[in-house]
Amino acid sequence: MDSIPLWVLGTGQRAVIAGFDPALPEAYRQRLTEMGFHGGERVTCLRQPAFGAPRVYRVSNTVFSLDREIAGHILMQAEGVKA
Amino acid sequence: MTRRVMLVGSPNCGKSLLFNRLTGLRQKVANFPGITIELAQGAMADIEGVTLVDYPGSYSLRALSADETVAVQQFHTGLEDPEVSHVVCVVDVTRMEKSLYLTLQVIRRARRKGKQVIVAANLMDVLDSHGIELDLAGLSRELAVPVVALSARTGRGMDELVELLRRSPPPKPSRAAPDIEINDDVLVQKTAHRLAQRFGPRGDMLVRSQNRLDAFFLHSWFGGLAFFAIMYLLFQSIFTGAAPAMDAVESGLAAIAGWLMPLLGPGLAADFTSDAIFSGVGAFLVFVPQIFVLTLIVGLLEDSGYMARAALICHRPLRMFGLTGKSFIPMLSGVACAIPGVYAARAIDSPTKRRLTYMAIPLMPCSARLPVYALLIAVFIPQTTALGGLVGIQGLAMFGLYFFGLTAGLLVTGLASRRAAHRESDVPFILEMPAYRMPALKPLLQRSVHRCKHFVTAAGGVILGVTIVVWILGYFPNGGAELQYSWLAAIGRAIEPVFAPLGLDWRYGVAILTSFLAREVFVGTLGTIFGIEFAEQNMVPLVERVHSSGLELASGVALLVFFSIALMCVSTMVILARESGSWRLPAKMFMVYGAAGYLGAVAAYQLLSML
Repeated sequence: MDSIPLWVLGTGQRAVIAGFDPALPEAYRQRLTEMGFHGGERVTCLRQPAFGAPRVYRVSNTVFSLDREIAGHILMQAEGVKA
Repeated sequence: MTRRVMLVGSPNCGKSLLFNRLTGLRQKVANFPGITIELAQGAMADIEGVTLVDYPGSYSLRALSADETVAVQQFHTGLEDPEVSHVVCVVDVTRMEKSLYLTLQVIRRARRKGKQVIVAANLMDVLDSHGIELDLAGLSRELAVPVVALSARTGRGMDELVELLRRSPPPKPSRAAPDIEINDDVLVQKTAHRLAQRFGPRGDMLVRSQNRLDAFFLHSWFGGLAFFAIMYLLFQSIFTGAAPAMDAVESGLAAIAGWLMPLLGPGLAADFTSDAIFSGVGAFLVFVPQIFVLTLIVGLLEDSGYMARAALICHRPLRMFGLTGKSFIPMLSGVACAIPGVYAARAIDSPTKRRLTYMAIPLMPCSARLPVYALLIAVFIPQTTALGGLVGIQGLAMFGLYFFGLTAGLLVTGLASRRAAHRESDVPFILEMPAYRMPALKPLLQRSVHRCKHFVTAAGGVILGVTIVVWILGYFPNGGAELQYSWLAAIGRAIEPVFAPLGLDWRYGVAILTSFLAREVFVGTLGTIFGIEFAEQNMVPLVERVHSSGLELASGVALLVFFSIALMCVSTMVILARESGSWRLPAKMFMVYGAAGYLGAVAAYQLLSML
């Protein structure tokens, strides 16, 4: 299945987590999982502040801000990206 | 018999507020040097002989950084303690899955050690306001522990929680619910997810109301403007807002001195009391209002939820220099005074980034440098304007010095971060955006008082010691009559060769030596040497004397370079040592910044002398 990084989602778009890029350190993956980012979970991009600032994502009922280093390594199912 | 109750929960779950409610604010906070972990302990207000221990907020019992390792170790140590009867696990009902992850881990470990777990389902008032109801009885059955619907803000459910804690639990074998007796992280996550889906609030109205405020505070333009306005207010309040309180400290000390000095009469004791005790220790006590004000405002920003937004806004530019968005406020505070800045760096959860921030703070152009800058600028820069009166040249020079300090700070962290990268485990930049909430003022005030006490007890002894040494050197052997014949002056003359490459004579050497107490003492000492009283209050006569003493422009620039870079504030070094856990970092910074400042000053003098 094709996957795209979470970072490319536009404001208001949502998609389902497919997995993690192997380049992401295991410890970070663990922390993301604890926070609710795990396979099959739906993530919505709420906000893209200007000037390349970390973006704001909603997972479950919690809102997190991730920078490109992290959000670029969370892989989303390319099919079924919804606005 | 005394009992203890452990209070645990994920970050932003409202645990501290619950702690304050249960203990009635009577708490003792234990600091762990070098990390941001604080264990607060307090006697429970409603149950005799029961102590509540507040553990740092954590997403899981698996540690990523040094700070988290200590926190998790403390938790396990607590579980081994036979005096511990209960573990209260606070769950944020508005964000259930995240809270349940930790809860499941805690229940399993606590059970094994025979401790009774109570789940405090906090923030029920938020759900009430949206008309959302939860099946907490069902959750309680699944977890096989009591679940209390609670609001630490309104006080709902407090009686029920206290009643559960009052009953000392009979020792019984753990009644294992098979579902939660799990060792596998994936299973913990799946269970947390399943339980949150089944028992958590539905719909997204909770997130939606938060998103409306974020639409403003994280807006490209309005958000930026709001950020600058808030930071300007913060900066103003440390810089000028604390000024009346600082003046009050000074005049309070002066009043005590005025009452005490006549009783002592003239002589050694009076000179010592007036010059060493009142002047020296007074110069250090004036920091207290700044620390109080900054701690209070940073607390307001944290508890209202804005801090996370501010960190997000300035994360990108600071990341280029190896810092994080959370480094901004400590560095901004450092422009007023390094000490509150060092304290503010506690908010940085990454130990690596925190250490880098510590390195940058003392290079920020703090207010103690201001009198030194002002004196030297007044001596060398004419009071003329450029661009048709729009720009004052003296102001421009001051701006240049501030810019120089900021640049130096970012340069240092940029270089140091290249070395620190990948050397140690660190936490990623994943920042939870907490809901916006109205902060509770009382605990914030209490925290500010606690921080001030910490400063006084940590730095007081060292400051007093250094003050007394400098005073003795300046006072003897001729009873303080003339500074130029004192031991201090003798030392200044002996080390004159050190200052010769800067084109400075022993008088400036002595002034630099005394400025290790606090940089602004430089101005007062020069005043004493040139025989001008109250030089700190009115610089004009001193400016004229320094001017006529034949100080070269090149030497003036050398002094400015030295004062911009060197770490010479004893109070800052003491607090850095306390907060970073050892004297290693401040000692290294003292040597490196001192050497860099000196070499920079020599280079500036030699270069300008050639022109």
